[in-house]
Amino acid sequence: MSVGSKVAIKLERVTAGYLTAARGWRSLRRRLEVVLNNVSLEVYNGERVVIIGESGSGKSTLLRVVLGLLKPLRGRVVVLGKEVYSLPWSERVRVLRAVGYVPQDPYKALNPSLKIRYSLMEPLEALGIGDPEGRMARVLRLVQLSEEVMNYYPTDLSGGMRQRVLIARAVIHDPEILVLDEPTSALDVSIQAQIINLINDLYEKLNLTVLVVTHDLGVAQYLADRAVILYKGEIVEEGFFEDVLHSPRNNYTKLLIKSYRASI
Amino acid sequence: MEAMVLAVKAVGLRVGYLDSEENVLWAVREASFEVSEGEIFCLVGESGCGKSTVGNAIAGILPPHAVTEGELHIFDRPVIQGGRMNYNGVRGRIVSYVPQNPGTGLNPYYTVEDQFYYVLNSLYGLGRRKAVEVSRNYLSLVGLDPDRVLDYYPHELSGGMQQRAAIALALSTGARVVVADEPTSSIDANLRLQLIKLLLDLRDSQRISLFLITHDIMSAGKICDTIAVMYAGRLLEVGRGSEVVTEPLHQYTRMLVDAAPTLGFKKALRSIPGEPPRPGVVVEGCAFRPRCPWAFEKCVEAPPRVGVFGREVECWRYVG
Ligand SMILES: Nc1ncnc2c1ncn2[C@@H]1O[C@H](COP(=O)(O)OP(=O)(O)O)[C@@H](O)[C@H]1O
Ligand code: SF4
Ligand SMILES: [Mg+2]
Repeated sequence: MSVGSKVAIKLERVTAGYLTAARGWRSLRRRLEVVLNNVSLEVYNGERVVIIGESGSGKSTLLRVVLGLLKPLRGRVVVLGKEVYSLPWSERVRVLRAVGYVPQDPYKALNPSLKIRYSLMEPLEALGIGDPEGRMARVLRLVQLSEEVMNYYPTDLSGGMRQRVLIARAVIHDPEILVLDEPTSALDVSIQAQIINLINDLYEKLNLTVLVVTHDLGVAQYLADRAVILYKGEIVEEGFFEDVLHSPRNNYTKLLIKSYRASI
Repeated sequence: MEAMVLAVKAVGLRVGYLDSEENVLWAVREASFEVSEGEIFCLVGESGCGKSTVGNAIAGILPPHAVTEGELHIFDRPVIQGGRMNYNGVRGRIVSYVPQNPGTGLNPYYTVEDQFYYVLNSLYGLGRRKAVEVSRNYLSLVGLDPDRVLDYYPHELSGGMQQRAAIALALSTGARVVVADEPTSSIDANLRLQLIKLLLDLRDSQRISLFLITHDIMSAGKICDTIAVMYAGRLLEVGRGSEVVTEPLHQYTRMLVDAAPTLGFKKALRSIPGEPPRPGVVVEGCAFRPRCPWAFEKCVEAPPRVGVFGREVECWRYVG
């Protein structure tokens, strides 16, 4: 697939963080914890970008900002040409409809008391999209699950099958952008390969723009056209994955690659 | 060469769990293996294949509804003999356990010092002063500054420090065998490398035996003397760590290697079709048959374990 020149996602000098309440002995102290510091990033249409960083580097926060769930303290966030945080909520939802999201942990992300059918239907109901039966059948085929799983509960399914369900749910409303948070870190290596191949397959078939977060360089190698290295809330390096791998410029990136090679 | 001392020896070990109707679901169907003193032994395989059950059997932390058959010896003491278990003098003292998430191995409500004190006091009756002295030694051994961790609660330490503290705690009892269940899964490369280096150092300096459990065969190949590949409660291949990964003999091992990414070499990732059998489901003949591209008529019978090039393999393709 060709990478367009249009920007799908744009972060401009984004600083974001959380107000944490630390309850002291007598008083309620509030502290601002800055997690992303002056981050600028452009993801082009039809591109696969992987954000690589260790835990606590701000990867999930960056995704939250992109998904319209955390208003940055400073900076602009533009998704498909619309400045997300200056839109009223109803319109923000309309823009973010074009984004599908696969959350981090397939063991926790599905409601255990709902049959898969209802978890799959959720985004359709929220967005008022019709023909749920047809759409469910289609996405299940796309992720190579049999229609029977609709009548199962999450605990009836293996981790790999749950991840397929979550990916199906993320694309059921035909998004243009697919965002995935550590899509394989909770899975066995053997299942990891299935999921990586599935994501790349959907990228081709559905003409998606893909934004992935991972701590694993080996996984990134298969999912990235472009890599962005995040360290302590700042982007320390970015470029085509192969370039970053073979001639890293930043010291942290070098260390990361060396450690990976030595331990895996 | 020094005489080899066996730290762990399993002969036809079977471990199952009783379900609510008192049926036994066998998680470990047949495991025979040996771990020498000072050896790093890795048990690899997909989740649910019985790895943790073997680890828990060695560590003496099987739940009450577990049932056993076969034998398990730790430094010549029979801890499992048929249906009987006896870990007196072994659990905690000779074998220690480091859980998957080091955060969970440490009690969140106690300071690091308190955790050492409770463990050493309950095992050996040590007083506070003596326990702190011992803990200082082991914290230094794992590269932590005692003054910077003893008074802290686990959540006040970084992930890497928690991991080191958990290992120091496991070693502080004087344990000769450390069982670590998925110690490196889901941590980033820097932390993983540090942890691996630490474990290797400890093996060299203390001659402890390490029983590592992981689903990541590539990482096992980098650090282990011996790899045992487990599937559906059986060991399908056992051999020298580096060789098992570079030249896998069993088809399952080969497929595990093919499914793992290698950085800088973007081969096609071949996933293993299907999934392991569900608990309680018994596959007649070779358990791997439903997923094996090599399967032939013979495979409806259970394959024997055969020695091939210094390795042990359970597959009909290597018989005769
Ligand atoms: N405490 C337990 N009680 C009952 N069944 C268990 C228990 N622990 C594990 N099992 C079962 O034993 C089988 C093997 O599990 P386990 O030893 O945890 O494998 P692994 O560590 O390879 O993932 C699984 O079917 C699992 O459900
Ligand atoms: S015994 Fe048969 S089914 Fe089992 S691994 Fe060997 S060839 Fe495959
Ligand atoms: Mg386990």
